[in-house]
Amino acid sequence: MAVHDDCKLKFMELKAKRTHRFIVYKIEEKQKEVIVEKLGEPTETYEDFTSSLPAEECRYAVFDFDFVTEENVQKSRIFFIAWSPDTAKVRSKMIYASSKDRFKRELDGIQVELQATDPTEMGLDVFKSRVNL
Amino acid sequence: MAQLAETYACVPSTERGRGILISGDPKSNSILYTNGRSVLIRYLDRPLEVRVYGEHAYPATVARYSPNGEWIASADVSGTVRIWGTHNDFVLKKEFRVLTGRIDDLQWSPDGERIVASGEGKGKSLVRAFMWDSGTNVGEFDGHSKRVLSCAFKPTRPFRIVTCGEDFLVNFYEGPPFKFKLSHRDHSNFVNCIRFSPDGKRFITVSSDKKGIIYDAKTGDIIGELSPEDGHKGSIYAISWSPDSKQVLTVSADKSAKIWEISEDNKGTVKKTLACPGSGGVDDMLVGCLWQNDHIVTISLGGTIYLYSASDLAKAPLPLSGHMKNINSLAVLKGDPKVILSSSYDGLLVKWVQGIGYYGKLERKVVSQIKCFAAVEEEIVSSGFDNKVWRVSFKGDQCGDGDCIDIGNQPKDLSIALLSPDLALVSIETGVILLRGAKVVSTINLGFPVTACTIAPKGNEAIVGGQDGKLHVYSITGDTLNEEAVLEKHRGAITAIRYSPDVSMFASADSNREAVVWDCATREVKLKNMLYHTARINCLAWSPDSSSVATGSLDTCVIVYEVDKPASSRVTIKGAHLGGVYGLAFTDEQNVVSSGEDACIRVWKLTPQ
Repeated sequence: MAVHDDCKLKFMELKAKRTHRFIVYKIEEKQKEVIVEKLGEPTETYEDFTSSLPAEECRYAVFDFDFVTEENVQKSRIFFIAWSPDTAKVRSKMIYASSKDRFKRELDGIQVELQATDPTEMGLDVFKSRVNL
Repeated sequence: MAQLAETYACVPSTERGRGILISGDPKSNSILYTNGRSVLIRYLDRPLEVRVYGEHAYPATVARYSPNGEWIASADVSGTVRIWGTHNDFVLKKEFRVLTGRIDDLQWSPDGERIVASGEGKGKSLVRAFMWDSGTNVGEFDGHSKRVLSCAFKPTRPFRIVTCGEDFLVNFYEGPPFKFKLSHRDHSNFVNCIRFSPDGKRFITVSSDKKGIIYDAKTGDIIGELSPEDGHKGSIYAISWSPDSKQVLTVSADKSAKIWEISEDNKGTVKKTLACPGSGGVDDMLVGCLWQNDHIVTISLGGTIYLYSASDLAKAPLPLSGHMKNINSLAVLKGDPKVILSSSYDGLLVKWVQGIGYYGKLERKVVSQIKCFAAVEEEIVSSGFDNKVWRVSFKGDQCGDGDCIDIGNQPKDLSIALLSPDLALVSIETGVILLRGAKVVSTINLGFPVTACTIAPKGNEAIVGGQDGKLHVYSITGDTLNEEAVLEKHRGAITAIRYSPDVSMFASADSNREAVVWDCATREVKLKNMLYHTARINCLAWSPDSSSVATGSLDTCVIVYEVDKPASSRVTIKGAHLGGVYGLAFTDEQNVVSSGEDACIRVWKLTPQ
């Protein structure tokens, strides 16, 4: 499975310059390649992110999650989300699952990984509970 | 956020032909008993406050406070004893596998260092005494050949342990380390209970042969007996001493409790007989008792707890009751929102009043098992495991004569049109049946396996859910159903469908953990992604103003969603009922009532976030 250079470049920008809130990746079947499908502005929120994930298709996504710890320190974590809804086609789920590891290794600097099979599994409370692990 | 406001506790589980042993703590004025896998702590002066310990993996049998009131040791049918703290969230201290079979009785030594447990098991292990913190054995207990029903620890030094059982024997052990000393075979039937007096001078055994025998505590010799004059006419199941060691309370299968005065020369004479205030059926046989401070507690086979005052025996007792088995349905009467009706599958219908608790049992003329029931104002429609649907009118606590309708198939779900209660819809394996009054109006074969159904309050529309997850909407004209639409969204068999009180929406839930709110007029999805449960959803309820929906599931949680807000802003009540939530209802905008497999009903107060 090839990874388009753009994917890595945009990820570096998110990590270093904070120019994106989130990136949604899609596997293009014809070119057998992972490409960037959507970029989110830093001003966009979690709600915009969830609405850019299709309800019946798989995607990979990277989300920059900002939060405040108990000691009132502003922190952020980079989440990798493997979005694999129950209602998606089995073939699609298989392709995304088998290429996930290789793709993740190309993105250096992911702090937390999450797999979501329905919207409840990537709710804000799930994000908050995963920041400390 | 949701807070527990009230708990209507279950009653002790009882078994015909056997007594149950309850215990208590005189300092905190509480009693301990078991039901299913839970151990319940109830406060005698605050019956609405109940604490439940649900950590046993097997049905629990007996629980006891340690002499200092800090620990509780509870035992179950697998032979395991768990010792846990009374405060601090019931933190577990130790767990021991004591016997190979069920444990029937458990006692602490007066210094709180040793525990003796008796019951049944394979081979020799019928009684064991061990140190409470290390589990090391403190004696050899042979001498019994059958199930040991009760054991007792002498409350003063020198320590003695006495046991009694189904082999009619009463055994006396000296120690520590405890060794067999002597045995008595004076009873001619099962010896049910054995107890030392609090001053440590005597102990008494009571048996199914209706006799009670008094022994000397230090030597184990027989010194007297309970006078057969005016004695019990049935098996005596349990005995409890008064705190001053001068009187004993016995309860028996002859439905009465007797208070005996034990004289200095060790003869027991009946001082007072407390007849059971019930109607005198089998359920009124008394199987358990406890004398604590000024309270006398007796428990009947039907699970009713009667609280008497020891100083004023002529006063009528306070009855506390509840369910013993899984409560599978709840209904809140629309007229008076503070009355809650609950039914359990053994056919018991109980009326509760918010703020007061147990109000009364609805006496039905025919006692049959209930699977689902619906209540409207003065009428109850229920169905059980026989092919009949009962329509019973009720006023106050009495049920009138019911009409029984034989529908020919086992009903799976039941719904009444709230505004015209004459009309009821019953779903069966292959279709639905329309009932008007007491007559079957039509039986409609729908061609797909039906799992849940509901009928609109006006009786003009019905929704039927199938095994495949499809919702079929029908309009009712006269006696026939015309299919209007088929809605597909659920990915599992539909388990519950409910119209909102303002009839603008309806909610459906399936066995695949998902619930959906639909708009009635457009039949479009209004609120989705209600997927927060982790197991099958059992029940659904709407709040009276149609703004919130609550779902209860097998995963023991109740989740309340607001229809105007996204599903992620929900209120979760975790661990509402051990074993699963089976019944749900709203009493008003802020209060939700839930019932479950643990036979308890809980009222939760919702505070807006």
